[in-house]
Amino acid sequence: MKANTQANLLLPTNEDTVGPYFPINFSDPLLEDLSQFESGITAQPEGVPIILKGRLIDRYGELANGTVVEFWQANAKGVYRSPKHEGNPDIDPWFWGYGRLRTESGDFEFKTIMPGPCADRAPNITITLFSDGISRIVTQIFFADQTGNASDPLLQSLSREDQAKLSARHEGQSDCGSKIYTIDIVMAGENEIPFFDDLIREGE
Amino acid sequence: MPNSGRRLEIGPTDNTSDQRTPRNRLRLIPEIARESFAPYVPQRGLSRQNDWDLTRIAPDLPRAEGVAIEVSGKLQNERGTPISNAMLEIWNANHFGRYRHIEDHSNIPLDEHFLGTGRVFTDSEGNYTFWTISPGAYLARPDIGRWRPKHIHISVSGGGSRLITQLYFPDEPNNASDPMAILMGDDFERNIGKPYETPHIDVDSGLNFDIVVGGRNAVYFE
Ligand SMILES: [Fe+2]
Repeated sequence: MKANTQANLLLPTNEDTVGPYFPINFSDPLLEDLSQFESGITAQPEGVPIILKGRLIDRYGELANGTVVEFWQANAKGVYRSPKHEGNPDIDPWFWGYGRLRTESGDFEFKTIMPGPCADRAPNITITLFSDGISRIVTQIFFADQTGNASDPLLQSLSREDQAKLSARHEGQSDCGSKIYTIDIVMAGENEIPFFDDLIREGE
Repeated sequence: MPNSGRRLEIGPTDNTSDQRTPRNRLRLIPEIARESFAPYVPQRGLSRQNDWDLTRIAPDLPRAEGVAIEVSGKLQNERGTPISNAMLEIWNANHFGRYRHIEDHSNIPLDEHFLGTGRVFTDSEGNYTFWTISPGAYLARPDIGRWRPKHIHISVSGGGSRLITQLYFPDEPNNASDPMAILMGDDFERNIGKPYETPHIDVDSGLNFDIVVGGRNAVYFE
């Protein structure tokens, strides 16, 4: 780990593993289904409802149980709900773009809407994993049937083989008409997917 | 230039770490894609109620067994800017070292007066405070006799900050053999609370833990 050479900066607290017992009573249904706003409200986000079905797989092909999965994405018009875009007319008041769930078994279903393309980026969802034995790791997944993948700068920084590992595949439709996408997130070993280094040392 | 980020290390004697730690180096993120990796956690959700006293299941119920402690500190970024209105989710084992979690199948006793989960928010100066029971250490690897040292799990989210960490206690015999502590090396010291006396409040002692959120998210701290 690189030392923090900027004399006037504080040293960060170490991230640590979430462990096996992230409290299930911290779950929040509003964060597990972004395709709805809140119950009893006549409003819903713009866009195509999708269900992302994922499996978290360890080095030995087993499901990584007890993992906390977080999601971050742009709305249907490609706008992230962050302070940088405050006042942007394309913000969807019914869509926040941040999701979280804890999977007991290691597979999950996340309901949301298809993110729009954003500037030079193909539609994608940032995925953060907190799991026993590791600290936070992050990746970004794409959709095989959406346009823009061939020119996405992140995807194109990877080998063809690795690009395929980050592409969710369209596999049918749910009873309520949502498009279903599937992805295997292999955390370690032979078919390990790419994870990304998002730490920035200030002053770099 | 792919494949030239950090290499993650595997916690010694930690089976799950062996199973789940990516073996390839982390990939670098092209500059143009960097911002998309920094989530902004909205200030909303059903779970946003304040629940600062983990020493009781509810205010009208008796206190749990063990040593009641106050934990307090300041949440800030690397430049020392306080992070206000962030949510801290807290969980720790009871006095005996058992979680009231449906997946904790150990035969360590539960405490009928201890739940062990709570949440608090930082004030306008980034300060937070909660009370809990000083957790017991527990045997994580009976086969090799390795214990998890006393620790409190803390998850920080709100705005541009997102961090999950653990607070450890000074001078604990099991600190030195903990896999994650070993990976942190000398930096482990920053995750150990600093004791203080609490003469005027209804707990036995205090532990100060200032949390500095580093890394990727500084862009939203302005
Ligand atoms: Fe723990």
